[in-house]
Amino acid sequence: MSGLDLLELGTFVIKKGSELGFDEVAVLIDRSRSCMIKFANNVVTVVQSWDNIKLDLYLAKSGRIAVASISSPSLDKIEKMLNVYRHRIELMEPSELYAELPTPNGTPLQPILDSVLISEENKVLESVKDMIEHAREVGAQRIAGMLEFGYNERILVTSTGAKLEEKGTYVKTYARAFVGDVSGQWAWTSTRFDRDSIVDVGRRAARIAVEASKLPTIDVEPGRYDVVLSPLVFANLLNYVAFAASALYALLGLSMFVKYGPGTQVSSEILTLYDDPHDDKLPGSTGFDDEGLRTFKKPLIERGVFKTFLHNTKTARKMNCVSTANAGWIAPHPWNLVVESGTVSEDSILRELGKGLYITNNWYTRYQNWIEGQFSTVARDAVFFVENGEPRAVTKRIRIADYMPNILRNIVALTKERFDIAWWEVDIPTRAPYALIRNVMITKPTI
Amino acid sequence: MGCRDLITWLDHGCGVQYVYEDLLNLAVEHALKLGASYAEARYHRNETTSIVMREDRVVGTGLEVREGIAVRVLYRGVLAFASTEELNSESVRKAVEIAIARARALESKEFLHGLAPARLGRAKYEVVMRKSFDYEPIDVKISRMKELFRIAKNSASKAKLSSFAIEYGESIETKHIVTSDGGDVESTIPRVYMLANIVLSDPQRGTMQRMIELGASGGLEKVEEWNLPSKISEEVRAIEKMLLEGVAPPREPVPVVVGSEVVGLIVHESAGHPMEADRVWGREAAQAGESFVKPDMVGKESVGNELATVVDDPTIPGSFGFYLYDDEAVPARPKYIYFRGKLNEMLHNRWSAFVFGVESNGSARAMDFASEPIPRMSNTYLTPGDRTFEELIEDIELGVYIKSYMEWNIDDVRWGQRYVGLEAYMIRKGELAEPVRNPVLEITTKSFYSLIEAKTKEVRFYAGICGKGEPAQGVPVWFGGPDVRLGKILLGVVPT
Repeated sequence: MSGLDLLELGTFVIKKGSELGFDEVAVLIDRSRSCMIKFANNVVTVVQSWDNIKLDLYLAKSGRIAVASISSPSLDKIEKMLNVYRHRIELMEPSELYAELPTPNGTPLQPILDSVLISEENKVLESVKDMIEHAREVGAQRIAGMLEFGYNERILVTSTGAKLEEKGTYVKTYARAFVGDVSGQWAWTSTRFDRDSIVDVGRRAARIAVEASKLPTIDVEPGRYDVVLSPLVFANLLNYVAFAASALYALLGLSMFVKYGPGTQVSSEILTLYDDPHDDKLPGSTGFDDEGLRTFKKPLIERGVFKTFLHNTKTARKMNCVSTANAGWIAPHPWNLVVESGTVSEDSILRELGKGLYITNNWYTRYQNWIEGQFSTVARDAVFFVENGEPRAVTKRIRIADYMPNILRNIVALTKERFDIAWWEVDIPTRAPYALIRNVMITKPTI
Repeated sequence: MGCRDLITWLDHGCGVQYVYEDLLNLAVEHALKLGASYAEARYHRNETTSIVMREDRVVGTGLEVREGIAVRVLYRGVLAFASTEELNSESVRKAVEIAIARARALESKEFLHGLAPARLGRAKYEVVMRKSFDYEPIDVKISRMKELFRIAKNSASKAKLSSFAIEYGESIETKHIVTSDGGDVESTIPRVYMLANIVLSDPQRGTMQRMIELGASGGLEKVEEWNLPSKISEEVRAIEKMLLEGVAPPREPVPVVVGSEVVGLIVHESAGHPMEADRVWGREAAQAGESFVKPDMVGKESVGNELATVVDDPTIPGSFGFYLYDDEAVPARPKYIYFRGKLNEMLHNRWSAFVFGVESNGSARAMDFASEPIPRMSNTYLTPGDRTFEELIEDIELGVYIKSYMEWNIDDVRWGQRYVGLEAYMIRKGELAEPVRNPVLEITTKSFYSLIEAKTKEVRFYAGICGKGEPAQGVPVWFGGPDVRLGKILLGVVPT
């Protein structure tokens, strides 16, 4: 595909699809060049590089819909795909979600292209070594993590007239530092390279580990505790909240917002959570959704009230409302999550907590019941036992096992400082503060 | 260049007829010429067809075809990976050059990576579908799924079936791996997969949710073997019973019988994962975590009793995790991960085998052409015992049987874990009695494997997609085991 104009390719597919009798055709092409450096035990373990072009295809005929995806699209492959679906779509039934593709009104955002991420890769690779070095200077004995950077082009062409193209760069990194058998983790993401932010990820991870290593280890009994969640933990939970806000997942029975619909107070008034596709620092930003509609910033939760499901045209028609420009042809999804700042400072949130637990990281969030929001998630890295606003000890092997609505309703403070997070357990780039939450159910193995 | 790049995708017969052998050889030769001490190239193609249904209506259908070439090199002690979707000599050469350039930039004398020597395969194999995916057209498949909704709806007599969704998938995975030290393996593996989400509700008792996952290698004959109408009906009836009649588990420690579905998940999480050698070394520390197992514990320390033997076996015919050669061309074989309670054998690829000074046991898997091969499970199970289910429970005066689960998780060293039962029953005087709602088994790895008192004769398997790596790689696996009786345990409960 080298040298082929991707807009032209998209236009060819639309023309070909129309000739073959499809009512509607949309083409989304993603071209990306990216690199990931993984490290562990203070050394680089692998460097991975990708050069990808993926073409996604949406086809509709008489209310029947199909989506297809091919890598390294050639004219030959695309024609074959269209021919397969020309016959296959006749055998299908109309989709209950079918709605006509909208008239496009989206416009690309100004390209966010950081030349360092495109053409000065040695500078980026060096920053990994710097991060490891600085984490060790702070006191980390071992450090593991990842740094990924890349360049993306996204092209949308639809039979309703969209011809849109967007370009951008991104970087995301996270590090886990160990001192003895305790650890700390931090993460950062952006559209631009910033060596200091990358190095700071290592430093912050190391500081947590070093602080934990100086404290005694204690057991805590299962029960209800007041907790402070780090931005990593809060971002992880909010990613699940945002997943549940997708109208498709509500229709499929995978969302607590089936029970707590728009207009319901689902959280304490302290929480306002936006889907923000126009923030030029967060890598999920875009000016148009997969149907060509103009994206916009919207609250999912505003002062505690669930405001809206995330919609494409199909789910919007099904729920009798309008699209929120979050297509996904089938599944609507958020672009970036942004939590409104709180009023407490990072330095004082443990004083606000008084007595309780400070959970610095988590993983393996799983639901027993999506509709009820009944879930658990495992704390990893340091968990501090806090008394009189000071970390007094560390504890291990605890999990939060509660209902998501309880967690949201019991938020009592958020920090002014917010952090741009993406890592293994936070897919959607999220600007999150620390959160103080009262009365959270904590469990642990007792056998 | 003589590459035959005729594509034959959408040919549901035996996968590709023409492969990119010339490009693979070119990649390996080019890497060696540029100074790599080892090179491997893998053509990897995944074709997946899917149908998503909500109740008896189609949401949409999908077809994904992803193919490309992965290149991995060892250059001056740095391991570098690159992939390209563009199947031509220029792009393959460029991928090799990028991998080597970046390896050069990251060269360090602190640690020199390597790959252990291995007995490599030169082979070609294929899983033959007895009923090919084309045996039934898509409209017939849709009709069958609509029928499942009707069955589910009719199976709930008092509670309301408030949500019913199915995702059904068919895939063909085709690979050709060539290594610079003589490995050359081609394979084609078709698979079928199904995920069903069932929610029942009652105005007084709330909701209960069940996810059912099924998967196998083979063709539509596997779907027939699942006997879906009967399975869906049984599941709906069971969930309804739990929802409407479920009581809290006993408040004192009681013998607990853990059903094979839960046992399978437990051995996957607390035997398979902690014995992945890359995790033991720390390579996944910042992602899926490390392991309670330390290198000097293997072959010496125990985590359970004589009944705690866990096997990982990729060679089980029809299994979801089936393969005969791994993604480094090493022959597959069963591995006894835990043997009579002892930490026995880690799962290795050639990198971890090098680090630990052993031979690879053929556990390297890569999800697709954009993924590096890392140590993974395939089909992991607890070995069977000698009891029938009736014999397992006959002398239990008061106990709990946990047959299935929804929520589960485990800490990142694979020690403290939690399973919340979905279908569960009291055991009274040696018989199954009233349903139990949301019993919680929160236990450490050592406690679970040490408390096993007896096992049934039959091993049953369950399907899943196991996640690991960065970027995350999901690979198909089976996990299973017999029903297991544990000594007395105090169960928790999720408040409703």
